[in-house]
Amino acid sequence: MSLAGTRSRPRRTHIPSKLMRESLLDKKVMESTETEQELAILPDVNVVVLGGQSLLDRGKAALFPLVDEIVHCRKKHKIIVGVGGGARVRHTYHICLDLGIPLGGMAMVAGAVDEQNTRLLQSLLAKHKGITLNKDHFLDLPLWLEAGMIPIMTGMPPYHYWEPPTGDDRVPAHGEDLGMFMVSEVLGGRSMIFLKDEDGLYTADPKKDPKAKLIRSVGAAELLEMNLPDLIIERSVVETLTRARHIRQVQIINGLKPTLLRRALDGEHVGTIIHAGPLPRASRNGLAARRAGRNNRAK
Amino acid sequence: MRSNGTRTRVPQRKTIDTPLGSASLTRGLLDGKQYDEPIRVLPDVNVIKVGGQSVMDRGRAAVFPLVEEIAACARKHNILIGAGGGTRARHAYSVALDLDLPTGVLAAVGVSTSRQNARILQMLLARHGGVYLNPEDFEKLPLYFRVGCIPIMVGMPPYEYWEKPSKSGRIPANRTDSGVYLTGEFLGARSVIFVKDEDGLYTDDPKKNPRAKFIPRISVQELLELDLDDLVVERVVLENMLRAVHVKEIQVINGLTAGNLTRALEGEHVGTTIHVT
Repeated sequence: MSLAGTRSRPRRTHIPSKLMRESLLDKKVMESTETEQELAILPDVNVVVLGGQSLLDRGKAALFPLVDEIVHCRKKHKIIVGVGGGARVRHTYHICLDLGIPLGGMAMVAGAVDEQNTRLLQSLLAKHKGITLNKDHFLDLPLWLEAGMIPIMTGMPPYHYWEPPTGDDRVPAHGEDLGMFMVSEVLGGRSMIFLKDEDGLYTADPKKDPKAKLIRSVGAAELLEMNLPDLIIERSVVETLTRARHIRQVQIINGLKPTLLRRALDGEHVGTIIHAGPLPRASRNGLAARRAGRNNRAK
Repeated sequence: MRSNGTRTRVPQRKTIDTPLGSASLTRGLLDGKQYDEPIRVLPDVNVIKVGGQSVMDRGRAAVFPLVEEIAACARKHNILIGAGGGTRARHAYSVALDLDLPTGVLAAVGVSTSRQNARILQMLLARHGGVYLNPEDFEKLPLYFRVGCIPIMVGMPPYEYWEKPSKSGRIPANRTDSGVYLTGEFLGARSVIFVKDEDGLYTDDPKKNPRAKFIPRISVQELLELDLDDLVVERVVLENMLRAVHVKEIQVINGLTAGNLTRALEGEHVGTTIHVT
């Protein structure tokens, strides 16, 4: 090896493919990669998230009835359960912020709280085929679902040290809600349900503002425009919903009324539904076509 | 366990009393200013991205001299290398796109090409102290630097199936530029340098448009306003820079010109610098 004075321009070795010589940053190239029928990987899976602070931190009185309900629902539906963090995540963030731990470091350590919660919940669900799904085993999902298992996942997405900066907000924007939303979106799942401790999304935090009103149904873009002081699910979920290709709506229901879960899984509107709104241009026709196909099969 | 239909009393939350105790952590609720600035984890590290298509895919003629230059620079500077993907990543993307697969699957398969390049670079740099850094071993960075190693890692961030759908198309927005930049931002690095095969940023793709003009220095805000059809770094890097705490300037340099990396590490301006105003 030698340090050449001026390097000649050695040729790139290409494999002929559609993107071979294109800049992947070119807007036209990016747009050309839209599809009219993105594949749904596991179209019959339902993703259910248990809030950390809202449910898990309430212990037995909230969790036992909910566990019974999940077991009941699993007889009919394939379910992946995600858990939130709760009080200990907030404490983690507080200590980290005080110590000057950078954002990525906070995202890295916060996941341990979810891990605790998956272990707690798995202990309760073990005899009903509850099993902790480590993200390294994500590809084993079909096996577990076919075997009738109830996979339980840590909600935090694996962004870890690579959590994008959030400026003045100072805490990670991608928490358990977004992580589980992405599970359902990438799998092209059947439904996405968030279990919290309120009947749905309110115009303000109903625990602090008695005049807060329940919003039964709202579009994601409209909700972002309302710029509410508080949201019951992470804002990043609502933002991502506006450009989701599969998940057309999420429902937020009250986990303290456990039987709502079976109704939500059967397609009933029992909480707040946030709609995705119009699909990105090119995807629209494809989705309509696929839906029509699904309905025909159902008949 | 018994089923519980209607409930009269809401079970109590077990809470921990902190300023964030009852915060819902959605945007705007947290007054981040009540806390001091984050620390710099490894402030003397220089994070360098070696381009996939732009450098690796050109083979020996481009890579060998660059490897020698990196080895020489590493005697003076702490260098962490992130590997790009390149042609094979594009090939995998085009197959995945043809199969109608979602962005998350593309992001997951993209990691493997970047990993191949990281391992290839490690073999070339081994006799100069090149070590392959598993993302799981990220916390061992101080050890590697203390003993004079050159850690080499996958450029792709670990988002994989959790990569959010893109606004337009299905190519993942966060690829190796993004991963390398975020590594630098997390570490509070001294510099983040992208080694490519052009002198820096042009008004258009200089490989296709001979009239494309060179831009030596530009702010992120100006660059976003220009709304160029093509860019030299991933757009998401620019968006992240606007919200970053530490790394508010990056440099894109031509790795095919000998000495550029050495000069860039000395703080010289040899390519295009993009900065936050």
